[in-house]
Amino acid sequence: MTVAALTLDGLGVAFAGFKAVDGVSIIIEEGELRVVLGANGAGKTTLMDLISGKTRNTSGRVFLYDTDITHWQEHQIARAGIGRKFQIPSVFRELSVRRNLEVASFETPGVFSNLSLRQTAASKRRVEEALELTGLGPQADRLAGGLSHGQTQWLELGMLITQNPKILLLDEPTAGMTQAETHKTTEILNALRGKHTIIVVEHDMAFVREVARRITVMHLGQVLAEGDIKTIEKDERVKQAYLGSKGIM
Amino acid sequence: MVDTLFIGLSVGSVLLLVALGLAITYGAMGVINMAHGEMVMLGAYTTVMTSTWLGLGIWWSLPIAFVVTALVGLLIERLIIRRLYGRLLDTLLATWGVAILIQQMIRLEFGLSFFGIHIQGLGPGLQNMSIPDVLAGTINIFGAEFNKYRVFMILVCALMTGVTWFIMYKTSVGMQVRAIIRNARMAAACGIDVKRVNALTFAFGSGLAGVAGVLMAGFKTVFPDMSTPMVVDGFLVVVVGGIGSLIGSILAAGLLGQVNALVAWGHNDVIARAVVFAVVILTIVLKPNGLFAYKRR
Amino acid sequence: MQATKLRLNLAVYLIFIACILLAPMFLEEFALNRLAKFLVFGMLGVAIALSWGYAGILNLGQGLFFGLGAYMLGMSLKLASPTSMAQGSDTPVPDFMLWNAEPGSKTDLCCINGGSWLWIPFQSHWFGILMGMALPTLVAFGLGTVVFRKRIAGVFVSVITLACVLLVRLLIVDAQPLTNGWNGLTDLGVLTIGETEFDPYSATTYYLVAISLSVTLILGRLLTETRSGMILQAIRDDYNRARYLGFEVSSFQVFFFCASALIAGYAGMLYVIVAEFASPSFMELSFSITMVVWAAVGGRGSLIGACIGALLINVIETSVSETPALVEAWKVIIGLIFVLVVLFMPQGIAGLASSVTDRALERFSGRAARLRQADSQHQPAE
Repeated sequence: MTVAALTLDGLGVAFAGFKAVDGVSIIIEEGELRVVLGANGAGKTTLMDLISGKTRNTSGRVFLYDTDITHWQEHQIARAGIGRKFQIPSVFRELSVRRNLEVASFETPGVFSNLSLRQTAASKRRVEEALELTGLGPQADRLAGGLSHGQTQWLELGMLITQNPKILLLDEPTAGMTQAETHKTTEILNALRGKHTIIVVEHDMAFVREVARRITVMHLGQVLAEGDIKTIEKDERVKQAYLGSKGIM
Repeated sequence: MVDTLFIGLSVGSVLLLVALGLAITYGAMGVINMAHGEMVMLGAYTTVMTSTWLGLGIWWSLPIAFVVTALVGLLIERLIIRRLYGRLLDTLLATWGVAILIQQMIRLEFGLSFFGIHIQGLGPGLQNMSIPDVLAGTINIFGAEFNKYRVFMILVCALMTGVTWFIMYKTSVGMQVRAIIRNARMAAACGIDVKRVNALTFAFGSGLAGVAGVLMAGFKTVFPDMSTPMVVDGFLVVVVGGIGSLIGSILAAGLLGQVNALVAWGHNDVIARAVVFAVVILTIVLKPNGLFAYKRR
Repeated sequence: MQATKLRLNLAVYLIFIACILLAPMFLEEFALNRLAKFLVFGMLGVAIALSWGYAGILNLGQGLFFGLGAYMLGMSLKLASPTSMAQGSDTPVPDFMLWNAEPGSKTDLCCINGGSWLWIPFQSHWFGILMGMALPTLVAFGLGTVVFRKRIAGVFVSVITLACVLLVRLLIVDAQPLTNGWNGLTDLGVLTIGETEFDPYSATTYYLVAISLSVTLILGRLLTETRSGMILQAIRDDYNRARYLGFEVSSFQVFFFCASALIAGYAGMLYVIVAEFASPSFMELSFSITMVVWAAVGGRGSLIGACIGALLINVIETSVSETPALVEAWKVIIGLIFVLVVLFMPQGIAGLASSVTDRALERFSGRAARLRQADSQHQPAE
């Protein structure tokens, strides 16, 4: 018996009449790793923005398990259990790697509840776990601003993991990475598989083949096709939509 | 009432000239130039100096002041601003230091006053400029009497705004500046020499302030810190108008000038300025990007 | 190494606090009064560092909070001044109100002019003190809530704060019958709490200032070490990331904006006690920017650095100003310092000290590691 972790019901947004995302309905099951594919401008990042509350949708609803989180504020959505990793990696550059993870591990959203010098044992433990998972232990005392591009991506991923979110939204987690770095990211994701429900937007097909079970293809703001990798590769509409360009695969 | 609007227009037009320079340097270069007011002051002193030492009238001061302040602007860009690109708030602080330096340079007569040497026209005292007879008195337009000097101010400002508009929208340098305003890195990638264009932009903006200074010299006393309120006002105009928007700056200058004049007419100067500040605060709170900011995605 | 640095940091705080508490043993009363003024400025440095360095909010209107604090206590002290009695009034009424009173109007705070009743509660010094802290904090709360809820950031916050301080300054100047306009509040009485009189030239007053500064430094530093302090620095670096980690960004910004305003307001009150006047010049733009200069020179990222920066600049300025010819030259130096610090030392003295310590510690720990290695090689031979 599977449970729907995230349900998008006819989600859409229009910018001055232009429908960047148009009536997208997707159900993502608990523990699933879903890859969202699509050409530039297909609306993938906007979809992430809608789920995480960065952009307010103009139609449709978002459910996290049974909770309707449509139009919640960003920090409420994050607290409800949706962690978002940005396309351009963003970390706290003037703080040490460990401090980055510590901040992420704090459990309450407001200023007064955090007016304490103590960190809970659970929070400390999660920081250590994240350091281990991302392999950033040796860099723990360095400033995050001094990390390489790949390490920055892992740190951001680590920050999300310390929060133990129900759902991870990853926007191009391997963008700009070397092959070795991509490989390590794959390992991290495979380690997380099953513990979290994960949605990945990616272009790198080698990576997609390695991690994906189920794929959603977007085109012009709409869902074009959905299925496992073989189905998608054979799908006529997908071929048609990408015919003329190199194709998506 | 017409009188009040007219005074508002003339105040607004000088404000606009100051703000235009700030608007293009801020928009194009991401630099908040707090020393911009000192360019106004330098322009005013150029007028004083050219008339005391060379016996030249205000007609000559306009181009001379433009060149002098543009060169000073170029120097500042080369020495300081260039090292601070991308550090917006730091440029604000560094140029505040520059502003103090320029003020002291005039006050101390380039340091010569330490040696007991004094240059007529400089120093800490007040300087008064007489305006040429042609511009004294009033002129009759459509049956109403207008102060000739204020009409002259409005005309010069309109002319300089026109020139700025022409350069920005009709020349290749202007196109490069606009490209930099939109996206400096992209502009650089397209082969625009961003450094050179930035230097020219900064010099031109400073030159405009210099011209404003000449106009100020004609109806206000000239002294070393005459222009500190000026730069604050100019900066507020830029923010209210929307960063990087020429038309926004023009309308905001008009708006703030009129608000100032109308309230001053109804109450007093102090309350007028207070209302201007209140308008600015409200504008930023209601429209944080200014009235006419272009949309970024 | 982190722990060593934290201990060194603590040592710097303790040495500094010891120094300012011991100063009365070496200084006579005039110098002591002057030092007290500088310590007040040091407190302003702390307020700036808290909002600029830690929260990333460059407040160009810190003088607003300083001025409000100063005026609130100044009103109380004005009513304690004997000058109003000297003007022939039986009840305490500010002398400037008496000078400008309509002939025949009742010389009482209730109705000598339209707004004078506002002064009535200030007859209690406690009320003045309370308002001196409450008003700046409340204004900061209102302003901060609007600004940060609207997600206004960076230079726009600077512009709003700047416009605010100039606006309030003009309002105070314009309310001449209530505030004595440009002249401000002068000829003030002495603050008396219980049996204690805070005469500006007494050691008591000095200790009040020095202890206040010490407490501010310690509490401020502790505040930055709390989880909220860490989150605040995270917000400074990337407020979006912080928001998507589930923090209510604006609440942190508002809280620390208020904390900074409270410190500035408190400093304003101390300044009135020490300098015996409150004036609209506290709310001039140049004063607010001067505070930023202090913090920039001392180090925006360090509370004590900014505090020492303020002290240092004022000590130098005062000693230079003893020679009249150098007063104007000093401004040149200040301008130059500012440009050079921004260009070449953006983290100020504290930043410099921190990187020097880092290097020293690294060398030291490197040597220690080599020694250990040498030891372990020796041991088997023994």
